[in-house]
Amino acid sequence: MTADGIGRVTFEDFIIHEAGLLDARRFRDWMGLFAEDGTYWVPAVPDQKSPFDQASLFYDDRDLMKTRIDRLEHPRIHVQTPPSRTAHLTGNVVIEDSDAAKNEYVIGSTVIMVEYRDDAQRVFAGRQHHRLRRNGDSFRIVQKRVDLINCDSAFDAMAVPI
Amino acid sequence: MRNGRADEIAKLVEPGRVHRRVYTDPDLFELEMERIFGRAWLFVGHTSQVQNPGDFITTDLGRQPVIMVRHRDGTVHVLLNRCTHRGAKVVNERCGHAQRLTCCYHGWTFDTDGRLATVPVPEGCGEGFDKEAFGLASAPRVSQYRGFVFVSLAAKGTSFEDHIGPVKDNIDDLVDRAPDGELALDAGMHRYAFNGNWKLQVENVLDSYHVPFGHASTVNKDGVQFARREGDQKGAAVVETEKKQTAASWKDRKSFIAGNGHGWTSNTSLDDSKRSSPAFDEYKKVLAEKAGETRAKEILTPRLHNSLIYPNMSIMGLNIHIRVIKPIAVDRTEVNIYPIRLVGAPAAMNFGNIRLLNVTHSAASFVQTDDLESFVRAQKGLRSQMTDWIDISRGLGAEEPDRERNTTRGLATHEMVVRAQYKAWLGYMDEAA
Repeated sequence: MTADGIGRVTFEDFIIHEAGLLDARRFRDWMGLFAEDGTYWVPAVPDQKSPFDQASLFYDDRDLMKTRIDRLEHPRIHVQTPPSRTAHLTGNVVIEDSDAAKNEYVIGSTVIMVEYRDDAQRVFAGRQHHRLRRNGDSFRIVQKRVDLINCDSAFDAMAVPI
Repeated sequence: MRNGRADEIAKLVEPGRVHRRVYTDPDLFELEMERIFGRAWLFVGHTSQVQNPGDFITTDLGRQPVIMVRHRDGTVHVLLNRCTHRGAKVVNERCGHAQRLTCCYHGWTFDTDGRLATVPVPEGCGEGFDKEAFGLASAPRVSQYRGFVFVSLAAKGTSFEDHIGPVKDNIDDLVDRAPDGELALDAGMHRYAFNGNWKLQVENVLDSYHVPFGHASTVNKDGVQFARREGDQKGAAVVETEKKQTAASWKDRKSFIAGNGHGWTSNTSLDDSKRSSPAFDEYKKVLAEKAGETRAKEILTPRLHNSLIYPNMSIMGLNIHIRVIKPIAVDRTEVNIYPIRLVGAPAAMNFGNIRLLNVTHSAASFVQTDDLESFVRAQKGLRSQMTDWIDISRGLGAEEPDRERNTTRGLATHEMVVRAQYKAWLGYMDEAA
């Protein structure tokens, strides 16, 4: 529980909801969970310090997220013909930090995403961190960072966020 | 194809078409590893990746695992990453720092110039054991140009200067963009792989024909691609939406060839009047201060845009990066993409380049992923035994001489550059070469 009385399960529910939107391919609703200054980051090396001076698999602000989603909804996105189907599993949720003054919380969790597309299935797994900002009864995502255990491997094309 | 006779291989390439076996025959792939990757000048890495003595990177050149390492005296060595004792790979990290290179198996230890330094339990070695004869093998020929390190794994052959020819100008164009005249490949790398032959990626890097179709998902309803450079408000116009056809400006783009399989596409302006952002404007200012106004203007109009330095690297000018193509199997390829830090440019400019390269060329990017899908589908289609040939005849006979660099010019939506690659391919694959 945080100092201001938010229980772990409240955060867990939010993270499960977020993963569910991705699995349902409701990408625009997913983007709606992010704050205006929100970012989505998947580093390309373990313990990556910064998205600014190093390559990342994803580092999207809201503008890039919108371009990404416009493309995911484009009828001629070849790498999603047929589309991916995904199943996220999130767990091991821990409140790692909270900043009452800013109403921000850092929640760590473990994510496993199984992706099936075009007769092939593969698994992504790693630890993720959500920096969440309180927004009325819910939260907005200030940053979602996913550290894949194989982040520095050579990937076949990835089209959908993890 | 097992015997690899040149006259048999020559039958696979015709003026405007190529036999599908060139992409699907595992025996032919092994021959390519010997005859192309075992002979040609190959890009290994950039000296900025091994800044200090003891710094190393490892990679594979065709079938050969190699270490590029900086020795105490400052020289950069390219060594075979294979212990001379029982053959184990000596260095297992992709990059790092070491005083000496020690094999994990029996502890044979090599100096950073490859010399065998110590052997555990030396009294077990035979009387005539000559340590000098057991150094890590060095690449027979190594050449550097402005930090770019190339090697040939063959002792004899075309010199590096003759090999690279006028495409060297593209290295100059790129390095000169850095206000301090120096690049740093210290911003990590993107790694992607696909179930397809390596030549599918090589053929793609100068292919302007595929863009409006292959990358349709990156083009908005006005026919314009998303902004890909720091300071751009929008990207290139690639489709004329009213006519539903490729934009005229796109169709007019030129490509060039100058032998040895290399090619490039026509020059481009980095400073059209519309490009502006605090980072880009500051960059222009710094560049003009260092290089002078006139030279800065020239630098901002690179002579060569995208280039292919056949067979394994490409320099891309829009979202600047160095691309290295690594064949793994006849139907599996890995590609490494290095973002470039322009030394002396404002940090925000370099960040803009790195950030937009994530968007265009990471394994999760908007642009590269549709290319990968095309490569995978090409490999699937080429398995079909009902049709033997693929067509590369666009613009055949329409090539023109270009006096500026004594090269040959064609439209970038034609397939002249691919035909030039197959000419070089045949040259390497000729067993007598």
